[in-house]
Amino acid sequence: MPGIDECLSQAMEIAGARGASLIDWSSGLALGAAGDSPNGDHEAVAAEATDLLRAAADSPTFADENDVRIPLQDIIVTGGRSYHLFCFVSTVFDSRLALHLWLDRADGNLAGARYRLQALAEELVLA
Amino acid sequence: MSRPPVRYWQPPGETVERLAESRATGALHGEAGTVHLADGWVVHVESDKALGLAGLLTASGRVPAEVWQETVRTSGPDCRVGRALLEQGRLTRGELEICHLGALYDAAFFVLCARSTMTWFEPGARHWLGPVRRVSARTLRRESVRRRDVLERIWPWPQLDSSPVVPVPAGHRLSGPRTRVPAPNRRQRELLAHADGRRTPGDLARLLGRSAFSTTVDVRRLAAAGLVATPFGTAPAPGLAAAPHGPGPGPGPDGAAEPAGPPPASPLDADTVEITLAGLERRVPGAALAAVPGGLAAARRRAEPRPSRRPTHAAAQPLSVNDPDIALLHRVRTALEARL
Repeated sequence: MPGIDECLSQAMEIAGARGASLIDWSSGLALGAAGDSPNGDHEAVAAEATDLLRAAADSPTFADENDVRIPLQDIIVTGGRSYHLFCFVSTVFDSRLALHLWLDRADGNLAGARYRLQALAEELVLA
Repeated sequence: MSRPPVRYWQPPGETVERLAESRATGALHGEAGTVHLADGWVVHVESDKALGLAGLLTASGRVPAEVWQETVRTSGPDCRVGRALLEQGRLTRGELEICHLGALYDAAFFVLCARSTMTWFEPGARHWLGPVRRVSARTLRRESVRRRDVLERIWPWPQLDSSPVVPVPAGHRLSGPRTRVPAPNRRQRELLAHADGRRTPGDLARLLGRSAFSTTVDVRRLAAAGLVATPFGTAPAPGLAAAPHGPGPGPGPDGAAEPAGPPPASPLDADTVEITLAGLERRVPGAALAAVPGGLAAARRRAEPRPSRRPTHAAAQPLSVNDPDIALLHRVRTALEARL
């Protein structure tokens, strides 16, 4: 049963991982972080990612409102040299969380990383 | 418990940092709740304004209430409730940590942003939860300031956070520059459905088993969107605003939230920056007046003619002898006597 730190250090073992964090996007706080971040500040990343996650998760176009537990599974942002994977974490109690993985495009495998991050998100909150 | 409590008269965030520097262990009791320290680290924060770990876990059904109570009863005296929940297989470590941190920062926002600067430190006190995660005093304070600024940017009326949530009927919604806002999401619609004009954001959070801060954010967003009445011109004291009262000077009986004067030019102005730098202490002019028993109506009358622009906040006013937090003093005295 991993805690936040173990979950993030496992995320950092994904090939091409440059940084990982657990983002509380109801407040914009990084509950935990590992590795590097694009601007050297995991908290700034969490605050900026919050706007992106909220826009998508609250959008009737992108999110499935009828699925109360997990209206959206993940968001992938593709840059020139890196990917940003945001995997929504669904808890039974009230929270709005996402695992963020900053992935190098040259070294990483998007499909594999996405699959692995999903598994980590599930392990984090399920026994 | 052997040493006497220590009293502080400075913003709670500063007091927590000072205690952390001296690697203190104990509980700092303030107006809105308690910060628990162990060896200079913040290990837990509780506030009656925010749903705690117990509330979040039991309201959602994640941990049955009777199991929770039994665990606190058996493991509480040894300060190992958190560990016991993990050992029982009731929760994953991830869930416990996430819920704990969520409750901790939520409560800290209310405790550190409290109007009163008076706090009491109870050396040596340990929390029944036991160690889960710990955060530094500096992180706690920085996060509380950030949260306050987040709310300020959404819709700069802090009165909304402690006033009853009054939905605006569809026919009375404002048309103006802020009407092009997204439709309320599911969470916000649920909030609106439960807002009966008497429940405060804190009451709604408790009722729906939600984080108090995210509920506060939702209420500010709904107010910014014109779906919840903004109490323009009023500056109720946080403690008193929870009491149901008739339509205030802001939203009329018809629910129209039309301000008496022009709406604010921008939610962010020079004040905001200044306040951020000045620290957490923030007072709403007139709030203390409103707290005088029997003086509420007079304070309201005085507050009424003020321009509807958001109130200017004075930072870090020293506590004067006239500060009328009598109820708070009584509560603190009672709490301390109970522990002696």
